[in-house]
Amino acid sequence: MAFYADKDYSEDQEVLGMMNEVMAGNLGLRWYNANTEKIKGKPSNPERGLTYQDLDIGTYGYTDIPEYVRTSQSMVARGSDKSIGKLPDMGYVVNRKSDVWSDNVTELYEESKARRWAPATDIPWGALGEKPVAEPLEAACAQLYTFLQECQLVSLDFPSRWVALINQDFIEQKSFMCAQMLDASRLLEVFRKRALYGGAGMKRASVSAEQCLKEWLWAETYPQGSVSINLALAGLLLNIYRQVAAFAPTTTDRALLGYAMQDSGRWVSYGTGCLRYHLEHQPGQRVSMHEYLDESEHAMLGIIGSPELLEPLIIISGGGFEKDQIKAGRDSVSRFIKLAVQEYFERLDYAGLEGRAHRSRIPHVLERIQVA
Amino acid sequence: MAYLATHDYLEDKSFVDKWLYTMRTGEMDLSWMNAKTEKIKPRPQNARRGLTYRDLDVGSYGFTEVPEKVRDNRSYAPRGAEIPAGVPDAQPWVSRKSESWAFNTESYYEEAVSRQWNATTDIPWEHLEGVELPEATGKALSQLMTFLTEVEMIATDTPAMWLPRLSPDFIEVRAFIASQAMDEARHAEVFRKRALTTGYGLMAASPMNEMALKHLRDADSFSEMSVALHLVAEGNVLTMFRFSEYLSPTDVDKRIFRLVMQDEARHVGYGMQHFKYVLENFPEKREVLHAHLDEAENISFAGAAATEVTESFIILAGGGMKKEQIDAGIKVTTQFNLKQMSEHFERLEKCGMPERKDRSKLYQMFLMGKAAAEAQGIKI
Repeated sequence: MAFYADKDYSEDQEVLGMMNEVMAGNLGLRWYNANTEKIKGKPSNPERGLTYQDLDIGTYGYTDIPEYVRTSQSMVARGSDKSIGKLPDMGYVVNRKSDVWSDNVTELYEESKARRWAPATDIPWGALGEKPVAEPLEAACAQLYTFLQECQLVSLDFPSRWVALINQDFIEQKSFMCAQMLDASRLLEVFRKRALYGGAGMKRASVSAEQCLKEWLWAETYPQGSVSINLALAGLLLNIYRQVAAFAPTTTDRALLGYAMQDSGRWVSYGTGCLRYHLEHQPGQRVSMHEYLDESEHAMLGIIGSPELLEPLIIISGGGFEKDQIKAGRDSVSRFIKLAVQEYFERLDYAGLEGRAHRSRIPHVLERIQVA
Repeated sequence: MAYLATHDYLEDKSFVDKWLYTMRTGEMDLSWMNAKTEKIKPRPQNARRGLTYRDLDVGSYGFTEVPEKVRDNRSYAPRGAEIPAGVPDAQPWVSRKSESWAFNTESYYEEAVSRQWNATTDIPWEHLEGVELPEATGKALSQLMTFLTEVEMIATDTPAMWLPRLSPDFIEVRAFIASQAMDEARHAEVFRKRALTTGYGLMAASPMNEMALKHLRDADSFSEMSVALHLVAEGNVLTMFRFSEYLSPTDVDKRIFRLVMQDEARHVGYGMQHFKYVLENFPEKREVLHAHLDEAENISFAGAAATEVTESFIILAGGGMKKEQIDAGIKVTTQFNLKQMSEHFERLEKCGMPERKDRSKLYQMFLMGKAAAEAQGIKI
C-alpha cells in the first residue's frame, strides 16, 4: 500500500470520543457556519434543465477558476469551505487551467448526456441480417471495424490515463472526460458488434496504426496528448466515419456511423477548443507544440497509410472488388485523404497554431499521390 | 516524448512507396483477407434487448473463453483479431482474468448504457421554485450534498485510473469501468447542482472522510481497489442513499436519490460478483484482501466519526435542531450506522468471506453498537 490514512480511526480515542459526543446529542456544528457563498441557482431556460452554465456563479463558477490552482489539492468540491481540517494531497499534476480547459467544455458535457444512445438497441441490427453484404465487401467491412476498434481502445485509454491526474477544481472538464470514456466504450462496442454480426469475423490488427496510436496516446503532457487524440485522431476518425457512411453498404452501417460522427464531433470540438485556450493563455507554448507536431505528425500518415485501413476503405468506397470499383474507390479515397489532412490543418489554424500546413512534412508526401 | 513508434512513417520510404503504389495502381496486399480468425454469426437472443455483449459470447470472441492468464494479447488489438508481430505493448498491469472479472459484467455494462440519465433534465429542478427550506434542514442538506460531491470525485478518479491498466482483452470489464466513471461524474454533478440550489451553497469539506477515502486510490491491485471502492465505500454510500431518500425534504431530492441508487446498486453488484470471482478463482488472494479490508474498513470508522456528515444527517433525520428533533435524528442515524455495517458484512458473507466477522474491528464495533442501540430500544 502506498497510502495509509493519517490515523487508525478505530484506535483513536479523540475520534471515538467525538463520535460518542455527537451521538449523545452534543453537536459541535463546526460546519454550520461554513464560510461559503450563499446562492440559489436556477435554470435560465426550464426546457433545457439546470445546466452547469446556470451555476457559473461567483466562487462556484468555472469562469473564475484561476489560471494556477494553488490552494486546492484534495477532493474538495470547488467553492466549499476548506478550513476545518487537514485535507489530503491527491497528487494532481495538471493544475493549470489553460492546460485542460476549453470554453465549450461545459456545453459539450451537457450535450454528451443529452445525446446518449445504446448500441444494443438503437442500431437496426436486423437490417443487416435481412440483406447480407457480398462476401468481399463484408470482409472489407470486418477489417475496417477491426481497425476502428483499435482506435477506440486507444481513445478510451486517453481520458482514463489523465483524469485522476487533473485537479478536481476543473470538475466540468473532468466530467467531460468521463463522458468521453463512455463514448469510446460505446463505439468500441458497436464496432465489435458490427464486425461480428456480418459473419466475416474479426480481421487483422495493424502494426503501423498501433505503433502510431501508442505514440499519440503516450504523449508526455496533456496538451500534447489532447492535440493528438482529441484533435488529430478524433478528427481523422470523423473523416473516416463520414467517408464510410457516404458509401456504406447497409442502413445498419449508416446508422451506427451517424452516432459515431455525433460523438467524435464532440471530441474534435473539445480538442480544438482546448488547444485554442492553451495557446491563448500560454503563447510561449506555440513553439513547443509545433516541435511536438514536427516529431509526432508522422503518425497521421502511419495510420492513414496502414493497409488495414487503406485497403478496406478503397473497397468500401468503390463498392466492391471489380477493377472499375477499385479505381472509383482510389479516386474517392485520394480525395478523402486530402480532405482529412486539409481539415486537420484548418482545425490547427482555427485553434491558433497557424501555418502548420507550410511547416508540416505531410503535404510533401500527399503531393505525390496519383491515381492512375 | 514518452513513447516513440518503431518508425517515423514519413521517413519510412518503403511504407510511403507502398502506400503511393496502392493508390496509383490499385494493387493491394489484401493479406488481411486471409486472417486466421473465426467466422461466426451472432444474433440477438432476445429481439427486445437488442444485440448484447452476451450474444457475442461465441468461440474465440467470447468472454467465457478468455483464459485465466492472458499471454497472447498485450496490444490494442480487439479480442479475437489476428495479431501480427510488431504491434506495441499496451503495458497492462492486470492480465489475469480473476483479478478483474465478475459474473454478469457484460449485463452490468449493458444496463448502465441503457439506464443513462441526465442530471440536467431528468430532475424536476423547476419544482424547487419557491421552495425555501428552514435554515437548519437547508444547511444540513447542503452539507450532505457537499460531502457526497467529494465522495463522487474519488469514485470517478479511482476506477478511471485502473481502466488503462486492464488487459485490452477484458473488453467488458473496461466497458463497465468506463460506464462507472460516467455514472460517478453524473453523481458529482447532481449533488453539486442540488447544493447550489438550496440557497446555502456548498458547505464544509470533510477532512476525515477525505483522508480515509484517499486509500481507495492507492491500492496495489485491481481486486484490492475493487473491494475497497465497490464493496466498502460504495456499499456504505448505497445505504446512505437509501436513508437519504427516506429523509429527503423535497420530491426533487427523492428523485435524485432514487436515480443515484440505481447506479450505485450496479457498482456494488459488480463489486460483489468480482469479489466472489476472485475468491473462487484466485484463492491465494484471500489473505491479501483481508489485509486490505483491515485498512479499508477504516473508511467506515472515519465516516461515522466525521461530525460534519453525522451531524447534518441527524438534523435532516430529525427535521430540525430542537432537542426532541435531535433525539429523533440520533435514533435514525444510529439505525443507519448499524444498517451500513450489517449490510457490509452480509455482502462479504454472500461473496464467500464469512470469516471476516471474526477478524474485523468494525464488526466488534457493530456488535457493541447494536447492543447499545437495543438497550435504548432501537432496532435495525
